[in-house]
Amino acid sequence: MGKPRSGPRLHSLEVPLDGITLLVPSAAIAEVINLQNMVPVPFSQPWMNGAIGWRTLAVPVISFETLLGAPATARPAIGKIVVFYPLGGRQDWEFFAMFAASEPRPQVLDGSQPVAEGSELPDSPYIAAGLKVDGRLILIPDLEALKKAFYPT
Amino acid sequence: MADPNQYLRLQLGGTSYLLPGASGFTIEQREHLITNKSPEGNIAAWQSVRSARLPAYCLDGMLRVTRHPDWHRAVFLDALPHAVGLVVDEVQLLPRAETTVTPFTPLGLPPTRLGHLFSGAWVMGHRLMLVFDPQAFVAYLQSLGDE
Repeated sequence: MGKPRSGPRLHSLEVPLDGITLLVPSAAIAEVINLQNMVPVPFSQPWMNGAIGWRTLAVPVISFETLLGAPATARPAIGKIVVFYPLGGRQDWEFFAMFAASEPRPQVLDGSQPVAEGSELPDSPYIAAGLKVDGRLILIPDLEALKKAFYPT
Repeated sequence: MADPNQYLRLQLGGTSYLLPGASGFTIEQREHLITNKSPEGNIAAWQSVRSARLPAYCLDGMLRVTRHPDWHRAVFLDALPHAVGLVVDEVQLLPRAETTVTPFTPLGLPPTRLGHLFSGAWVMGHRLMLVFDPQAFVAYLQSLGDE
């Protein structure tokens, strides 16, 4: 039996959402915090739930599930808020956040995890790829597509 | 009497927003305005200025047009071709020294032709107040029409 293909180790975090799990580089996440009061932002997109106060900044909070097409829902009663660093090329104060169903879990990838077939992935521009980890499908968000949705002008 | 060193806290419904003092505004008491007695239309009152009538709108906490009889003052924002007004539940001038405003960019498509309605926020621990972008907010108010 051949040895599993392996490569450089990539430290990532599994972010459990409502029904799906995202995989993001650990370096993309600034902090995981408890749920807190959120201020609605009038006339924002259905996938933008509002804004929270974090450090000295107002940080917009998104529902990734709604971005994928799920109906917009109210703030979950339990879970976490994952605060992400600004996307590439954006201002250094443009953090954003999303709800997570529970605490993100560390995951070290070494290239041996099988890539999911396209037919297994949601039909969404915001998903770049998927991996099978211990038989579970975890989705890798397309950060460039997110940036276009977040900052269209 | 706009002071560039101040923010104006506007309470609409149960929600407070900040307006930079530099944007220019005047505060008018209800008794100096002409109340719209018709339940129809978006305008709550007018300010009569020379031969013109400047509209004032009543908004709820989500900035949707609403109408309610229990109000006492309106804030008129300087704008072209004429000022545009906003009925407020409360209005308070805050010295800039008391407020620390940081930039804030709402995500997604902006709702007005001049961009997003908010350009900053005042964060106090886990509480925050959004700060209007004056030009975009005026554009929104103007989009509500003159009827």
